[in-house]
Amino acid sequence: MKKIKCSKIFIFIFLVLMAVMMLVPFVWLIISSLRPNMELLSNPFSIPETIGLDNYREVLTRQPMLKYLFNTFTVALIAMVIDVAVSVMTGYAMLHRFRFRKKLSMMFYVGLFIPANAFMVPYYIMITRMGWYDTLGGLGLIYAVVNLPFSIMIIRGYMETLPMQIMESGRIDGASTNQILMKLVLPMTRPGIVTVCIFIVINSWNELFFANLLTQSDKSKTITVAIKSYLSAFEANYSFAFAAMVISILPTIIVYVFLTNKIIGGMTAGAVKG
Amino acid sequence: MKKRYLILYLFPAIFFAVVFFIVPLFYIVYISFFEWNGLNAMKMVGIQNYISVLTDKNFILAFKNTIVWILAAVCIHIPLGLMLALLLNRKICGWKVFRVLYFLPNVISITALAFLWYFIYHKDMGLLNWLLEGIGMGRFAKGWLTELGTALPATIVPFAIYVGLTTVIFMTQLATISDDLKEAALLDGAKGWQMDLHIYVPLVKPAIVTNVMLNVAFCLKNFEYPFVMTSGGPVNTTTTLALYIYKKMMNANQYGISMVGSIFTVLLGLCLMVLVNGLQRGKKGD
Repeated sequence: MKKIKCSKIFIFIFLVLMAVMMLVPFVWLIISSLRPNMELLSNPFSIPETIGLDNYREVLTRQPMLKYLFNTFTVALIAMVIDVAVSVMTGYAMLHRFRFRKKLSMMFYVGLFIPANAFMVPYYIMITRMGWYDTLGGLGLIYAVVNLPFSIMIIRGYMETLPMQIMESGRIDGASTNQILMKLVLPMTRPGIVTVCIFIVINSWNELFFANLLTQSDKSKTITVAIKSYLSAFEANYSFAFAAMVISILPTIIVYVFLTNKIIGGMTAGAVKG
Repeated sequence: MKKRYLILYLFPAIFFAVVFFIVPLFYIVYISFFEWNGLNAMKMVGIQNYISVLTDKNFILAFKNTIVWILAAVCIHIPLGLMLALLLNRKICGWKVFRVLYFLPNVISITALAFLWYFIYHKDMGLLNWLLEGIGMGRFAKGWLTELGTALPATIVPFAIYVGLTTVIFMTQLATISDDLKEAALLDGAKGWQMDLHIYVPLVKPAIVTNVMLNVAFCLKNFEYPFVMTSGGPVNTTTTLALYIYKKMMNANQYGISMVGSIFTVLLGLCLMVLVNGLQRGKKGD
């Protein structure tokens, strides 16, 4: 009995160490973001003498950070609506047997492994020709494309775990194909849809490649592009950079704190078939 | 299902696949035979672009680095995630809290994470050098991202340790293992780590495949970490394929060369797909 306890303590210490390693940078980030630049430069790790929100005030007045956050969210929303609609329709159709089902299924699978970055030139030209360069719609469309293979995989995978008898009974009760989808299949696919939505929001919050390529002005810049610009433009003013970073990660952290279980549970619904 | 409906439902996905995957694929193959700076007339150069890319040591380096990233994913990231999942699975006190903490970095943008680690590695005001000095190893302090030997591992470390999503995917699968099986193994006298090795690990194979797939896909398009932390330097030692393609187009305006890089990235993706597919088949054979 004693031996087991001993090993449990070791495991506990190991888990704590891992957590510290992962999270210390964030604590340091938050403390640094509250300190004036001069103090930070002269003595980055001393016990802070002055602490205040000055950096935040400066960053928020100098750059339209809230607009960038809004842009990021809008882009994610556009991608989310397109991807969920397309994936649900595809997943539903793929529940049925037809001639090219296997080939089509293979094509979606290939899509998962083709890095969309490889298509930067064609996408850039397409979006520019359509006059959507530097618009939220253009970037949203590309995000939808980038996330589509994954979202089809998740939603399709989830639909396949649903009991087929339900569709059968729906048909016997005289429901049309559309009704079966909207009234029966769609509500039951909700966990899969939540997974896809969370993934897309997080990916949009992460994405820098296409955001950098397809946006230019404040009206469509996303938060990642704004943060990146701090690396070059404000090289000397680290505390502003830190404050900007905290602003960029705050929304997701707040959402995470309130919806922890939904997010952890939701991220994996459909990703693992039991 | 009537054919009419089938076509209607499949139309959007097929439309996207054709317009955003198949047409661009032919397009990049087409462009790859031309010399083009994006503005002036295109000049047909045959396979010249392919020759220049394959003899460009920066491309070879980028290709090699992408492989190193994938190896880090498979050999460090995923085993670490699995180990944490197995440890948390023992329901150590506070395991739910640990799960929440480990997952936290996954909701933060990679750009912000990479930016943060840029400062951690900073030569003069970085957290890492300060810690090293604190424990009396000040002589190891250096500009981690600016020195040739350490730059590539330094860019990979944040990715390797933030295993929250991987861990959670493993834990979800572990939760589906039936209690009967666990009890039977316990009755047979299996100890903690024996349970892990002989009962749990074989049973989470589907989750391993999922994780390999997600992480390989991530490494193939990995752009944010090196772009933010080093811009590919020093001397291109941290450039990945995605960054190579980006630089050739945006900085050098060599669209043809950039497209050849893209084609090789796609080919690498297809090779890896075949590999992972094999892994999946192996899983079913068990």
